[in-house]
Amino acid sequence: MASSGNEEQKQPPPETKQSLWLRRAVIASFWAVVAFLGLPVWYKTTAIYRADLPLQDMTAWANGQVCKPVFPLHIAVQAPLLAQDAHHLLHATQQTLDDLSDFPAHQLHLAFAEPPPPANASQQVTADGSGPADLDDTVALSVRLIPVETGVTPRSQLQPFSATLDVYYQLSQIPTQSSTSSPLTTFIAHELHQLYAQERVRLSSLYSDAASQSKSLSPELTAQLQRDATRAFKYAPTYHLTFSLFTPTSSPSAWDIETALRQYMNPILESFAGISNFTIDTQVQLYANFSPSIRQPEYDENTKAWTIFKEDVSGFINAAEWPLSPSIGQGPTINFALYVPDEVQSPLFVKGSRDNSWLVPQWGGVMILNAQSHETTLTKEALVPAMQVFSTQLSSLLGLPQTPASLPLRISTLTRIHATSLLFSASSTLGALAQVYQKMPTIPVPDTVAKSVNLSLAHLRQTCESLRDGRFQDALQNARTADGEAEKAFFERSMVGQVYFPDEHKVAVYLPLLGPVAVPLIMAALKEVKAGIAALKGR
Amino acid sequence: MRSFLSFALLPALIACAHAGPDYHERLLLRPLPQDALLASFNFRSNETAAAYEQQNFGLFPRSLGQILQHAHTKELHLRFSVGRWDADSWGQRPWYGAREGSNGVELWAWIEAGSDDEAFARWLTLVNNLSGLFCASLNFIDATKTIRPVVSFDPEGDHADTSNLHLLHGILPHEVVCTENLTPFLKLLPCKGKAGISSLLDGHKLFDAAFQTMAIDVRPVCGTSGRQCVVEMEQTVDMVLDIARSKRPRDDPIPRPRPIEDIECDTSKSYNAPDTCYPLDKKTEPAWKLTDVFGKPLRGACPLTAAEGPESETLCINAPPERTIHVNTTGQYTESLSASDTLRCYKLPTGTELDLVLPEQRMTTGLVRGQPHLYAARSINGHGQERGSVQAVIRNPSPTDAVEFTYLESLPWFMKPYLHTLRAHVSASDEDPLKETYYRPAVDRIRGTHLELRLVIPPASTLILTYDFEKAILRYTEYPPDANRGFDAPPAVIRILGPFQSADRKGMYLRTTPLLLSLPTPDFSMPYNVIILTSTVMALGFGNIFNLLARRFVGADEVPAAGGLKGIIQAKIQSVRTRFGRA
Repeated sequence: MASSGNEEQKQPPPETKQSLWLRRAVIASFWAVVAFLGLPVWYKTTAIYRADLPLQDMTAWANGQVCKPVFPLHIAVQAPLLAQDAHHLLHATQQTLDDLSDFPAHQLHLAFAEPPPPANASQQVTADGSGPADLDDTVALSVRLIPVETGVTPRSQLQPFSATLDVYYQLSQIPTQSSTSSPLTTFIAHELHQLYAQERVRLSSLYSDAASQSKSLSPELTAQLQRDATRAFKYAPTYHLTFSLFTPTSSPSAWDIETALRQYMNPILESFAGISNFTIDTQVQLYANFSPSIRQPEYDENTKAWTIFKEDVSGFINAAEWPLSPSIGQGPTINFALYVPDEVQSPLFVKGSRDNSWLVPQWGGVMILNAQSHETTLTKEALVPAMQVFSTQLSSLLGLPQTPASLPLRISTLTRIHATSLLFSASSTLGALAQVYQKMPTIPVPDTVAKSVNLSLAHLRQTCESLRDGRFQDALQNARTADGEAEKAFFERSMVGQVYFPDEHKVAVYLPLLGPVAVPLIMAALKEVKAGIAALKGR
Repeated sequence: MRSFLSFALLPALIACAHAGPDYHERLLLRPLPQDALLASFNFRSNETAAAYEQQNFGLFPRSLGQILQHAHTKELHLRFSVGRWDADSWGQRPWYGAREGSNGVELWAWIEAGSDDEAFARWLTLVNNLSGLFCASLNFIDATKTIRPVVSFDPEGDHADTSNLHLLHGILPHEVVCTENLTPFLKLLPCKGKAGISSLLDGHKLFDAAFQTMAIDVRPVCGTSGRQCVVEMEQTVDMVLDIARSKRPRDDPIPRPRPIEDIECDTSKSYNAPDTCYPLDKKTEPAWKLTDVFGKPLRGACPLTAAEGPESETLCINAPPERTIHVNTTGQYTESLSASDTLRCYKLPTGTELDLVLPEQRMTTGLVRGQPHLYAARSINGHGQERGSVQAVIRNPSPTDAVEFTYLESLPWFMKPYLHTLRAHVSASDEDPLKETYYRPAVDRIRGTHLELRLVIPPASTLILTYDFEKAILRYTEYPPDANRGFDAPPAVIRILGPFQSADRKGMYLRTTPLLLSLPTPDFSMPYNVIILTSTVMALGFGNIFNLLARRFVGADEVPAAGGLKGIIQAKIQSVRTRFGRA
């Protein structure tokens, strides 16, 4: 307002070149301090350490580009035949097998094994289930061809406690040199194909891409597999087994569980020893009623028994009061609950059947034991039905396939399934970690993560090799380490913290300082640049 | 005639040969002066060492057993306590204080480990797991709250090899003990509060008590002759109930005055009138029954207890012989008298409820209360936010015996005692009562002070122990949300070494009350204020210097015409004015 009337304004004396340059130098040096000292210090102090991860490799594994697991099963054929005949037989059978194959990754390789000395052929299979000693451990199954005179031929018999298939045939069924197939070769091929049917289905379902899904699979079988898969626990190197005795009254207050477990549970656990370790603990809980949320048992006049409703079975476990906390230490806990009903409500069954046991998927098994005598101690004999039920439940909880009839075969199938699923799970964990690394630039990644990732990758490679060579036990060991390391890397604790300090937060804290400092700096620089440009134009 | 029964009888009654897995429980009721009632619950279960090692848990709870094995803990003592034992009117403590804890949570354990570091790592595992099991903040027992006492605690169990056992001790004085701690406690019992004396335990009454302490003690016990060892777990609950208070119905807990007709008035008072009354003390024992006092009926015996013998008598009441006690039950029970008829024990019926009914009665005899061997009180003196001093007053009532005891202090690191100011002074004598000192100074934020003293107090005299301390200033984030409430300093633990000896290896203890330490508390908006203030100061300084250096100074009349922001705003104002002028 004051200047409105003042037409003539005094101009300041022209600036000397020296003072002009001095001012420019001052501003430039301030900016230099900001740019060369302030920003690097800021960057350095707020930088987050991120170890280098082999992201390419990790993603490649996750996408399944590195390793397509294959399962070459070596099958030793023992036959009292001449080498030439045997070779021909094998060749023909192999051809039939290859024609039957609907899942290319799963290959059966027949090989001729020297027949053992005939004198003790019948005692070849030792009681503990181990196969003939001269076979190396890559042999998945040995087929013994035994010539017989009588009975329906060819016929086969699978040894329940060893990986041996006995095939009985008549000498006339040996294929001649000229023929490419004979009833015997077709029979053997079909038998072998059938033997591994379930394994193929489960392995191919792990592959999960629809292309390799077996076409021959019936919907019922798929449903069955689906059910088995949801029941079973995720693979763990160690499982804790907890056997609990619950009773709503004060008796029985003790049980002879130690000897019962030793006799009925230890053998099955020993056969699983190659896959997982087990710890066992037991407890007795008195005055433990089942959950009050379910309907009380009803007396059924027809069967002279108390019944609980089938729908209530899922709520039977009284999670609030029964001390079924997981065991301490790594690995999941499998619970086996033995419920001895009150004397006045005994016998107790599930309505509509005489069933008194059921399986809780991924948790454990429950059995109602209707004791004959109401003693205070349950004897080993009284526990036999419970132990049988629990061992069956344990097998399905561990994901043991239901066929074939031979236990070693089923366990080796389980080894391959676990190795494969661990391989896939470790790969996808690594893939997820790679994604997290790329998507969240603010999380710190310590060196231990990189170490774990590299270890995991190395073990994955070894797993793949072992699978290719048919060393499935090795494959499982490696896959286990790989998965463990991958999980360790993914769940590294120090990677979580920094996420909660977003950049906005830092800006909010520093703005009161940086704002007032930055404004004069920027304004001065702008003004000087403007003046400089004007001076250049004016010249 | 006055009869006397000390609490020493109780352990003697319960002690028995340890053979295999067995279970014992006993409730001792004892009327105390001022209409109070002491209820001492004791539950003891055994498991053979072999079965325990193999994790075949029968009577021993699996959840606790697994934790102890996982943490390699050989002996465990855990206490949850609320309230103060009023020794002046209630006399000797139950169990001679051996089953009592300091206010809040106290835990000490013997842990097997090769080195101190390993022992501490296992200790952390133990406290974290127990924290989950008992729903308590035990996980806050960290290095700053952990000490390794030297003389105050001895193992109660039989340990084969004590060379690699490490004793660690931690106290949480601020922990609020409540119902959520009782529920897991009851779950550890074989009869789970569904039968036996544990059916009387109810959270509402227990935590309403004037004093209550819950204890869990696990120790290995080996027979004198053979190698037969058992792992013994003892659970103890001691509570002092105010009978009048606990008889109030739960749905109407507000105390109401009785109608004036029912009250006997002191007519000698000058203000006595039809509507004014000073009630006379009736001098009678109050009427009570179990169901009223505990709020729950006693649901018969736990069938796991012995069927015959003194072990089967699980309910005992310590009252003068003349006190009338009616037993109200439909089942079979037996009553037996012992200790010159002052102790009446009942064998409970199985499956049916039992109630004891005691009518109101004017008594001519009473029980002699056992006198405590020591009385102790501790307080903080001084003023200001920088320094203070602690004074512990310990009194020996015995006219004949000098008492030797240890005094253990576990102080938080922010309460820094000056050891040179430590004075122990006995009123009657000039002899220095302080015999030995174990001291481990605190390290800021790493460990607390551990001070252990061995003292002797002459007969009928009072010992005054004082020391000064400095209050540390905490970091901003180290304050709890309720910083102005103050900080709790754990109670001192006093163990009587002699001449009195307890019959077993439990020892005789008493504990003082915890202290409330007020530390200087900052204004918690301070960091933001500091940021803003320093930023403003720095920005001002920077702006001035920068402008001095980078501006060109000209004469006031040489300033170029208003341009820039100022000019734009002036032009805007001008245009608005002209528009308004037109309108």
